[in-house]
Amino acid sequence: GVFAHLEALEAQAYEAALKQEELQQQEEKLARLKARVRELRLQRDALRAKVDLQEKGQLGKEGAVLDKAQPSAQDGLERKIKSMKAMLQIFYLTGISGKLTKQGVCFCISTAYEGTYLDSYYLDLLIKPQVQIYRHSVPIFIPLEQIARKHLQTDIRRFVSVVSDHLNAYAGRRYQADQLQEHFSDQIEGTLQRNSLCNLLVFSYHVSSESKTLVFNVRLLYGDLCCSLPTEVIVSCTPDAPAYLAETAAAHSDLFRRVALHKAFRSISSAGEKAD
Amino acid sequence: MDETVAEYIRRTVLKIPRDEIKTTLQKWGFLSETQLQTVNFRQLKDSISQDVVHLCEENSADIKQAADLDVVYNHVYPNKRMWSVYQMNKTGEETDFFDIKDFKKKFKRRLRSALKNVTINFREYEDNAIWIRIAWGTPYTKPNQYKASYVVYHSQVPYVFISASVLKSNVPLLCQALLVACNYHDIREMELRGHCLNSLKDIVFKRYSQNFQTYCPRPLPEKSVTPVSEDLRVVQENRREKERILRVNREAFGDGPQPKLEFAQYKLETMFKSDPKMDVLYKKEPFRCLVKFSSPHLLESLKSLAAAGVADAPLSPLLTCIPHKARNYFRVKDRKSLLTGSFVSP
Repeated sequence: GVFAHLEALEAQAYEAALKQEELQQQEEKLARLKARVRELRLQRDALRAKVDLQEKGQLGKEGAVLDKAQPSAQDGLERKIKSMKAMLQIFYLTGISGKLTKQGVCFCISTAYEGTYLDSYYLDLLIKPQVQIYRHSVPIFIPLEQIARKHLQTDIRRFVSVVSDHLNAYAGRRYQADQLQEHFSDQIEGTLQRNSLCNLLVFSYHVSSESKTLVFNVRLLYGDLCCSLPTEVIVSCTPDAPAYLAETAAAHSDLFRRVALHKAFRSISSAGEKAD
Repeated sequence: MDETVAEYIRRTVLKIPRDEIKTTLQKWGFLSETQLQTVNFRQLKDSISQDVVHLCEENSADIKQAADLDVVYNHVYPNKRMWSVYQMNKTGEETDFFDIKDFKKKFKRRLRSALKNVTINFREYEDNAIWIRIAWGTPYTKPNQYKASYVVYHSQVPYVFISASVLKSNVPLLCQALLVACNYHDIREMELRGHCLNSLKDIVFKRYSQNFQTYCPRPLPEKSVTPVSEDLRVVQENRREKERILRVNREAFGDGPQPKLEFAQYKLETMFKSDPKMDVLYKKEPFRCLVKFSSPHLLESLKSLAAAGVADAPLSPLLTCIPHKARNYFRVKDRKSLLTGSFVSP
């Protein structure tokens, strides 16, 4: 009758849903593997480029010895351009790409954090009369001038690499804080105190376990601007909290020091659920 | 509730366009949703503001809360004020771990140690912007709430945006308090001024569109644009010139929207160059002249000059360097020393 028919339809729908899920899982797996293949290919290309460069570098040294008799300003410039081209080859696949311009070179630093691509920033450099920054789109709170004073004149590659480290770490810290506010806002009490560099985060969060709500205060200090994990973590409880909470606080503190903020919260909240 | 507080709230509400009053009050957060429901926001503004004042009386609003409403209003309508940009310097290279609680404490302490009668309000926003409102008094009078100064500071950034009130004598004290709170050594006013706060931020934070060359340049749109008239008898005589102008303009201004400035001022201290036979200005003295360009949107209009045929491309670097040099006041001297100098007040 009708009921039997409805049952049959229900069974069909259930099976279809199961199949759909299976398919999705397979597709996800495939996408993951493809991404892995891409990663490995990139690594291989980068290593190849490195090997090529080393070979060319050796030839270059011999060439320089012969030319030493008559150094000229023209040679100096040519050498600079050659080393610039070599750098561009190595860096292309590591998130730093560049293009030679009329007056120098323009670098594009792409940031990413754990597989998510984030913003790109530009550094337009002049080569003559000496290396200097012509213009850039680096956020104003990144200590670009400081880094330039240390490295720009002596080692352009190091300079770009350090700026890239700063930008990637900043992008990572900001990403973690944004993820925290987006996905765990119900566990955060009050506002999340942050700043432009995202190198100091102060907030309170609660964990529900055994039908009790425990409130913790945390202060995360990121002392190394090239790092997206905190160097100093202080997790404290409210003054009237029971003594055993100190252990939990210490465990959380250790977690925040080792693991990305939003991932740490994921494990904290799932641990709380398990305890219920 | 104080008479002066009531009057101040009433006048602040009157400044807000009628359709925005409810949302502004909601942003303020001092009156509850239920309280706001009791107000008819379709009546005349005079009546709305009276109703709002009554509600504030119910909640016993004080001057600090009334001042907070003023901050909210100015944050929604920042372009009604003229903003100056100040640059700060520090000599140390230690990392700045900006703590907002610390900042507020230091700022208030420094200001209050010099002047007891001040009203200080802070409001923080999602983009790390901190708005500070200061109403100034004297050792003998209460702060004048109608002539407050506003400061906008983004943490860990060496720039501050100040909209000083008419009482300019308080600016040095304000600067000192900022230096202490932000941990910098000195502060100077830049030659950059305008009404559009976001554009001033875009300029000094380098958030405006700069045409950076990359490995994957986008294909030039000009080539694929279909001509307006399909009539084959119409020939574009100067198509190449038009393309050149577009390309040069792009290099100078980039692709995106320009920051909004209302004027650029050039004080000329150059020698007048004329045919010696014409005998004009025989004195060997710089020709004193002040050139001021004004526009509702100066940089966009400069960008469109060449395409409109009004000026030659490329434009003078004196005009195109404005966002890059982060200034709209210039002192132009002769060839040897190019763009130098500071703003000289008229």
